[in-house]
Amino acid sequence: MQRFESPQFRSILRSVAKPARYVGGELYAIDKRNEFFSLREEDRVHFAFCFPDLYEIAMSNLAIQIIYAALNRDDHVFCERCFAPDVDLRSLLRKRDLPLVSIETMTPLSEFDIIGFSLHYELAYTAVLEMLDLAGIPLRAADRNDSDPLIVAGGPIACNLEPMASFFDLILLGDGEFQLPKLVDEYREHKVSKGSKYDFLRRVCHMDGIYVPAFYEPRYRDDGQIEEISVVEPIAPKSVRKAIVRDFNLAPIATSPIVPNMEVTHDRMVLEIFRGCARGCRFCQAGFTYRPLRERSPETLVDAAEKLIDSTGCDEMGLLSLSTSDYSNIDGLTRALLPMVEPRHINLSLPSLRLDAFDFDLAERIARTRRGGLTFAPEAGTQRLRDVINKNISEDDLFDTARTAFENGWDRLKLYFMLGLPTETDEDVEGIVDLTMRLLSVWRDLPKERRSKRLFVTVSTSFFIPKPFTPFQWERQISINEMREKQQRLADGLTDRRISYRWHDFESSVIEAVLARGDRRLSDVIERAWRAGSYLDAWHEHFDYDIWLDALSLIPGGADFYTRERAEDEIFPWEHLDIGVTRRFFERERRRSREGRVSLSCFDGCSACGCSVWQTGVCSPSVHDACSDNGGVSC
Amino acid sequence: MLNENDVKYRLILYFARRGATVWLAHLDNMRLFERAFNRAGWPIAWTEDAFNPRPILVFGLPVGVGIETRRDPVEVTLEQRIELKPMVERLNRSFPRGVEIVDWGEAPDTRKSLMSLVKSADYMIEAPSIGQAFSRTFEGGHPVLISWTRKGRTSQVDIASRIFETYVVKKDSIEFKGGAGSDLHLRVDLLLEALVRDGGLSNDDALGARVVRKRVHCDLLPRCLPGSLDKRLE
Ligand code: SF4
Repeated sequence: MQRFESPQFRSILRSVAKPARYVGGELYAIDKRNEFFSLREEDRVHFAFCFPDLYEIAMSNLAIQIIYAALNRDDHVFCERCFAPDVDLRSLLRKRDLPLVSIETMTPLSEFDIIGFSLHYELAYTAVLEMLDLAGIPLRAADRNDSDPLIVAGGPIACNLEPMASFFDLILLGDGEFQLPKLVDEYREHKVSKGSKYDFLRRVCHMDGIYVPAFYEPRYRDDGQIEEISVVEPIAPKSVRKAIVRDFNLAPIATSPIVPNMEVTHDRMVLEIFRGCARGCRFCQAGFTYRPLRERSPETLVDAAEKLIDSTGCDEMGLLSLSTSDYSNIDGLTRALLPMVEPRHINLSLPSLRLDAFDFDLAERIARTRRGGLTFAPEAGTQRLRDVINKNISEDDLFDTARTAFENGWDRLKLYFMLGLPTETDEDVEGIVDLTMRLLSVWRDLPKERRSKRLFVTVSTSFFIPKPFTPFQWERQISINEMREKQQRLADGLTDRRISYRWHDFESSVIEAVLARGDRRLSDVIERAWRAGSYLDAWHEHFDYDIWLDALSLIPGGADFYTRERAEDEIFPWEHLDIGVTRRFFERERRRSREGRVSLSCFDGCSACGCSVWQTGVCSPSVHDACSDNGGVSC
Repeated sequence: MLNENDVKYRLILYFARRGATVWLAHLDNMRLFERAFNRAGWPIAWTEDAFNPRPILVFGLPVGVGIETRRDPVEVTLEQRIELKPMVERLNRSFPRGVEIVDWGEAPDTRKSLMSLVKSADYMIEAPSIGQAFSRTFEGGHPVLISWTRKGRTSQVDIASRIFETYVVKKDSIEFKGGAGSDLHLRVDLLLEALVRDGGLSNDDALGARVVRKRVHCDLLPRCLPGSLDKRLE
């Protein structure tokens, strides 16, 4: 607690907004410096878990809790946290020439053995550079030497970090809870052997999910497309396959997660009920990169819920997964959880969809425990377009659920759609208006005494961003003009006073799209944008499109080169990475999408996506045996 | 508020906060308490609001960001009697490091809220040469006006009239009783501003000052010693 006695520290904290972001001291934050630093230097690994955004965003993330607990379990490892400082603290650090330090022990980042960035969205890239620079660490892997920390990255967008490849020594693909501790363990052995960083990278590059960018080198054609990605380190594998937790029941649950002292964006306990998704919505990257779907048993979850309630004292519990109503025993799980949360005034946030799948009594109880409104993500306004994207929501389900909810007094409805999806027409955009109005009528047609008094509807649209490892990875992103036109058309239609309409920024959607399917040439662009002042780009008030456009002038064709439709046989920047789902499957799915044909979920039949190699989860080999190569058993 | 015949129990707990928790804003501090009560299994009563029920907790004074406390009162309403000593110990184990209940007592038998009972507070402030700055600022006994803008409206606040009693003036620390809660509430940041402007305290030293609220004085509050209430409730 020494640092709080320092006037200098206090004066910094009094000069910035929300100082609680930087002081730590939360319940279950780990400070084992005494034990740890009494170990011999070569017997310990000091790890900084970095999140390139503000505290309130970082601490809303489950990843940090999982990794923090998984690494700190080992006495030889001390995992601390470090997040991006807000702009006020950043300029103060620069003005006073102070280095960026960890939260737990205020150790300068440059003194850690390993710095691990958790990456969840592309617009956080410049904050990675800012954090490295504030720490006084050379940005480029090639410019760092053996005494600099090892800089690693992982997270949901790790499947294409090529635009950041020059800055990282190593990238982790797939599930991290077993893989990262293993890597850290290897690092400790490496410290004992006193080898070089290069030796270490060679030593681990064969482990599942360990990708060393420097061992691969893309060559570009004159038009900027990739000619070939070659392996430049002879012992490196041709392609890197993601790491996966095969038995999800064995994946540790952080039952004593750090409880933030200040309010964070998602302030609640989280139960991750399964990982992966069986649905196959064609725009959804996570839906493919986390395949196959692996569940936790209700027993495991109920036990964890009990512990979380006791340990955190939070008043909200969220069930986390990509598609919660797909949990095989959602009814049973809810029945077990309700008696735990009801007497303690804890809100259970449950999937809105298929409320009708619960019986009436249960639906009512769920309705009573939650404060938030009803949320649907039909993503597209017409059945035709929903078939194109393989979004399996039937309007009947939607209307039935809405009716049940309105009858139970819910008065807020949130609808999420995407604009600019492949093949979208004006009719599809108007379909959003139509669907919204029909949901309004469901409420209006209910007898007054049987429905909520008022109704607030929020329609939110984002712009479709083609992502790697999806059937839409070849598609183009619509232009800003098209975005504006579609958004305007929608705004013109949604005029009912009960509806409010929110849309996503045009310009940041473009940059997100550029970075999402980007190649290594973008490292220069990102660095230039950062040098020009780009920081915390995911925050509307900080995003500066002109800076990015200027930086993109380094690339012939600029942003358009990356947002364009890709050639069918184009070699992608991520071609050497393997997340389990094959390119052949994506090609097939894209064809089917163009034909407006839906594909089955893994529950109903196998579409031979490639993930059966792991033989786990809902992806059962017997189902797989029956599948053909033309899109699944249904064809 | 509670009915006449309500069987709920109201208690005043006194808490200290130090370390990292000093940097929490009032609402965050409040939530920290709510969660600690939940973890410790205290039977806190909830408001009857159907849409947004909240646990009934009333802080005597909001805790300002950057202010340590040693004995700030918070009133809690309980659904049932509890054995206080072990429950307070349990509560103390449920707080993050730095927060601690140091004393407790029965709530006064009045319909007035705890907040309206608070009249003054004792402070200790440490900063290099703050004693001299303090003496210089307030010597002569005339008003020390500082302008304060809140929600777009600027008003003049006399800091001198809000310092009720000076206990200790040392070279690098001062102790005094200032107005609290009422119309004469003393904002410590405004006091420091005055010390910078009129007393020659350096701005950096003001920002780096250590501020401790040692005690909050309320009307009607009995002084009890730890544990004494247990017997009374039996
Ligand atoms: S192999 Fe078949 S069942 Fe398994 S995840 Fe892929 S599509 Fe689903």
